[in-house]
Amino acid sequence: MLSNAVEALYIFDQHNESILEHVYRSRPASARVVLPLYLAQPVPRPSLIYMPNINPPTVLFSVIHNSLLFLSPVSTETEPLFVLEFLHRVIDILEEFIGDPLLATKIEGNYDVVAQLLGEMCDAGSVCNTEPNALRDDVDVSGFLGKLLGGVGLPGSSPALLPSGGLKQQLSLNPISNGPAIPWRRANVRHTSNELYVDIVETLSVTLAPSGRPLAAFANGSIAFTSKISGVPDLLLTLSASGGKLGMEKSIELPVFHPCVRLARWKERPGELSFVPPDGKFMLAGYEVNLMPSNLDLKAWSNTNLQLPVSIEVSKSLGLTGADFEVRLILSSNFPGASTSASASRPNLGTRGSGRSTPIFGSSASGPTLQDVVITIPIPKAVRNITDLRASRGEAYFTPADNVVDWRVPTKDAAAAGNATLRCTIVGPTTDNDEDEAISFSFDAVNGGYDKKEETYQSSGLDNSKKSSVKVQNQSRDQRKIQQNSPLMPSSASVSFSVKGWLASGIRVEGLVLDTRKSRGLGEGVKPYKGVKYLTVSKKGVETRC
Amino acid sequence: MYSIILAGLILTSARELTLEAAQSAGSARTVNSRPSNRELPFAQTKKLLDSRNDREILEGLRKVISMMYRSKPCLPFFSAVIKNVASPNIEIKKLVYIYLLHYAESEPDLALLSINTIQKSLSDQSPQVRAMALRVMSGIKVPVISQIVSLGIKKGCADMSPYVRKAAALAIPKCYRLDPNTLPQLLDYLSILLGDKQYYVVGAAVNAFLEVCPDRMDLIHKHYRGLVRKLVDMDEWGQLATLNLLIVYARKCFPIRTKKVKKNKSKGFYEDEASEQEDEYSGEEVQVLHPDLELFLKACKPLLSSRNSAVIVSTARCFLHLGTSEYIDAAIGPLVALLRSPLDIQQVAMNNLVAVCLVRAESFVKYAGHFLVRATDPPDVSRSKFEILTLIFPHCEPHMKEMILSELEHFTRAADTALVQESVRAIGRCAQNESTASMRCLRLLLDQLSSQDGGLVADSLTVIRHLIQQNPQAHVQTVIRLAKNLDTTTNSEARASIVWLVGEFSGLPEEDNIAPDVLRILAKGFADESEAAKLQIVLLAAKVYLHYLIRTSPPQTEALANAPSTQTVEEASIQISAPAEENGWQDTYPLPSTDQPATEPEKDSTHPIPLLWTYVLHLTRYDTSYDLRDRTRLYRALLSDPHSTQLASLLLLAPKPVPHTPSPSENRKDLLIGSSSLVIGVEAAGIDGVMGYEGLPEWVKEGEEPDAKLRDEVGGKEAHGEKKDMPAARELDKAIEKKGLGKIGVGGAKDKTLDDWLAEEEGSEEGSTEEETESESEEESSEDEESESEGGEEGDRLVN
Repeated sequence: MLSNAVEALYIFDQHNESILEHVYRSRPASARVVLPLYLAQPVPRPSLIYMPNINPPTVLFSVIHNSLLFLSPVSTETEPLFVLEFLHRVIDILEEFIGDPLLATKIEGNYDVVAQLLGEMCDAGSVCNTEPNALRDDVDVSGFLGKLLGGVGLPGSSPALLPSGGLKQQLSLNPISNGPAIPWRRANVRHTSNELYVDIVETLSVTLAPSGRPLAAFANGSIAFTSKISGVPDLLLTLSASGGKLGMEKSIELPVFHPCVRLARWKERPGELSFVPPDGKFMLAGYEVNLMPSNLDLKAWSNTNLQLPVSIEVSKSLGLTGADFEVRLILSSNFPGASTSASASRPNLGTRGSGRSTPIFGSSASGPTLQDVVITIPIPKAVRNITDLRASRGEAYFTPADNVVDWRVPTKDAAAAGNATLRCTIVGPTTDNDEDEAISFSFDAVNGGYDKKEETYQSSGLDNSKKSSVKVQNQSRDQRKIQQNSPLMPSSASVSFSVKGWLASGIRVEGLVLDTRKSRGLGEGVKPYKGVKYLTVSKKGVETRC
Repeated sequence: MYSIILAGLILTSARELTLEAAQSAGSARTVNSRPSNRELPFAQTKKLLDSRNDREILEGLRKVISMMYRSKPCLPFFSAVIKNVASPNIEIKKLVYIYLLHYAESEPDLALLSINTIQKSLSDQSPQVRAMALRVMSGIKVPVISQIVSLGIKKGCADMSPYVRKAAALAIPKCYRLDPNTLPQLLDYLSILLGDKQYYVVGAAVNAFLEVCPDRMDLIHKHYRGLVRKLVDMDEWGQLATLNLLIVYARKCFPIRTKKVKKNKSKGFYEDEASEQEDEYSGEEVQVLHPDLELFLKACKPLLSSRNSAVIVSTARCFLHLGTSEYIDAAIGPLVALLRSPLDIQQVAMNNLVAVCLVRAESFVKYAGHFLVRATDPPDVSRSKFEILTLIFPHCEPHMKEMILSELEHFTRAADTALVQESVRAIGRCAQNESTASMRCLRLLLDQLSSQDGGLVADSLTVIRHLIQQNPQAHVQTVIRLAKNLDTTTNSEARASIVWLVGEFSGLPEEDNIAPDVLRILAKGFADESEAAKLQIVLLAAKVYLHYLIRTSPPQTEALANAPSTQTVEEASIQISAPAEENGWQDTYPLPSTDQPATEPEKDSTHPIPLLWTYVLHLTRYDTSYDLRDRTRLYRALLSDPHSTQLASLLLLAPKPVPHTPSPSENRKDLLIGSSSLVIGVEAAGIDGVMGYEGLPEWVKEGEEPDAKLRDEVGGKEAHGEKKDMPAARELDKAIEKKGLGKIGVGGAKDKTLDDWLAEEEGSEEGSTEEETESESEEESSEDEESESEGGEEGDRLVN
């Protein structure tokens, strides 16, 4: 039977120096023992490393965040995801309590807070409390950080600071004596300004065939929610996709939810998220949208393209010796579904025009803007160098250490749309060129013997009668060179970019309603400020094969 | 999911990061000196700790804690710190407790001094203080206090606050580790806590149960239904523990039952009554779920949309090992969705996906798009993705198959040799699982042979060899084409593979047989070959010569033919099929058949084959490799007598077993998904997995299972449990009602589980008077008056 326990947590800074060692139970392998073994692994280091030769035999789990290294050794069978999820939760919570981004200096400056957090989150190996709101009730955050976190009107963490007065006193004590009413929401939340923010981020994961036809296209969405609202609000967030309710059901796939979301309601009416939020920022849901129609429509699909603001075409083995390749970037300012909810990527579904955002939302930008366009081209290791990076726009670099060409294309200037090209020449390994020569000699069938042919090669300029054969020979040599260079050509290229104010899936927030009937503790007539942000990012997510 | 996106959202953080990077680059090696300015000398810190001012004590404690984490010696502060344990200030208390937990083991005697004060705190009026005290007391690793701890737990179990009861549950395994003799008492406490009304207490209790006495399933019976009911409301860690417990419980208590179900065959247009009769007998065996087991599985379903990847995998494990195929299918989507997670979780998730895919490949077909390998994937992820693609390949529709093959083909051109190797092997597996695709795969692989990359060629050839061996009759022409590649292939492994294959086909009738001619060409360049290739050339020579001997002495061969009968059958079939497959290859190949006149046996000495054979023997005799010389001696001895070829044909012409490459993870199939052992693999961790790994118990045999009635919650008790099953939502309502805050919406929301409440069913089942009683009685936890009113609701809740 699997029983799960965390044995220890080690944190290292960017120089791999230990900044924190917290042992939960038994005597796990120490940080000094496991670190060198971890570092000995080849570089994309696996998140789970088995070390049978140390005492005790250890399974080492690792997570890297902001160049901080989190290690957790375990000496008995444990569910890997249990430990990894715990490490991620530690990171999230540390970020929330001692500041985002998490830095080594911050941890070192707040050891007392970190110690309390780690003690509360995991009691002698059993993970027991990872809800930020519940931890906020238990952990004292003092001084500057306390002020920073406490915000305006939040109750102090120590009982002494609680407001006096019969009713309030009772109210504030009650949750502790009976346990928190809602595990994920802390008691007695007070805010002077009530605000709600919805941030929907979609991360693209698109694979395109050399022909430009999409093989797979997904948008991985996540809904981050920030609630700064007093009392116990009951919220209803309505999402819509092109194609109405049916479209919603079809488009949002494989969702995961924060425990606060009422699953039954979602099942009944997909697109409606009804929940009592935790206080502060949290991930409300994650989902996935298949940007390609289902298999049934595949034939109808064939030629219509996936409408992305950025696309690339790669042509390779160009030039006389096939040592060049060219990347063509096509930028379009056309954001399907931005102005209307109908997404061009789903032609089979009905169009339904409506405004970009309902008036209640503070609409953010005037239009979607494309930013941070970077093209990354992985280059085979055999390539020695890349000369001649000729970019029609932006700048391109070759980093030999990582074997990639990075090409940044600015999109700030007016000509955001349009094309840009990058042409590169590769330099292959030197030895191959010599071999090439040798091979071309020994295999030449036209001129027979080796010696004789070498002669002709050298005297080719003089002897007219042999010119034609030399030409042929040169041609075939080029052919061979092309062939030889072809494995040195990149086999894929990917684009990174971000678009604010646009979602690839066409999903939009239809409404965010505070159910005053079910909410409690919110003053009469309080209208919270609501904000919605959309962001589509691609982190090397659009990959073109070539 | 969480951290990545949050980080992405906050763009300002990037700036801060760069600043930090710059700063740390500047002071590259002074990381440790950074906080030093804040460090105080020993005396000063001690003075702070001894101060009467809370603020100063806190300051001192913070210093000590920082030193503790920086591995500076702070044992000297022990007494100074410990005496603050009695401080009424909760902040001071917390920090002292942290220190105490860390150092109690090194100063057990001094630590004992603090026990008294801590024990007092167990009766503090603040539940937070009580819980903390219990946690610290049980965490102090001083065995003499085990009885005190046990008493503390007992007190905690009966505490009004669930917060303290949770701490009590968490303390149980600690107490057990302190002194295993306390087990009988601990079991009593556990039994109480497992029936607690609060789901988060139960979660901790289950965790304790798993650590202390995982085999005492008898304690679970009466709580089984309660656990199942509370599963959805528990926190993710409690869910994990409960899933782990219940999967074993189910195996031990619900015998597997199957029943024959009549297949619901759709009637063909012309089918008549006669076939209908048959149907009744050809029914399919279907697993029938025990109602209690089904209850559990249904309760698991909502967990599939958990944000915690471990919960999803655990749920999938339950479905995989307990449920029917419909349940397994339901879990596959959420498992695939784990590929959205951060990279470290993805790596582990992929291993689990492969394990599930080995069982139910057909259900993965619609997710094929998720398994396209991306340039950013680390090697182990791409390997797993290839494996899944090959596993689902036989179940795909043609266009999907085409996509998978072109995907694999794309990666044969990748720069990374490991990736290339994987993709070539994957193509081979596709071909062997599906005979119709095997021609296409073979073509793909043959294309690879012209590659410059020797390793790729060798890999492809190995796979091709396997394919050919599976169906030798169909591949005579392929071998000829391969033989042509000998001109250009330089990789020694590849050459050896080709030569071996040619040798396998050396028994063909002479007009098709290229083996002697290949041998003739190879013998010319023998000296330049690698050792591996030389070995194969000698073998080829031996085979060719043996076939020649068999052919030239017909009477004897026939006598022999009865002995290795299989071989002759195979040979015969090759001979039959070979002439049928005439195509371009053969014509273009300069067949030397004209050089080889059909010779009579008596022309032995002049026939090229014996000459070749002797020539090769001569060559090898003076080779540097003793292995090669040794082998040659063996073959020569075998073939020394032209009239007795029986032994030689047994040795050289024995039918080869058809190789079957299993999916790389096939040997992990028996490991539980979600375990570390599965990720590590059998090769590294051994058959038994990592220390502490245990597989699931077998299904209990019909008739040996515990009585189902044990699970019935008896009358009063049930009502009690029911009543106490106070979900968060209800508590919330109650609190509000009591404060007179929200007057609205309380009406129907009285007696619901969290699930109900979330489901927002408005129908009020109970009168308002009922609500009054309930809310009053909650604190007193009086059961009598509610037992009647609650009895009827069990049904409702089970449905939810």
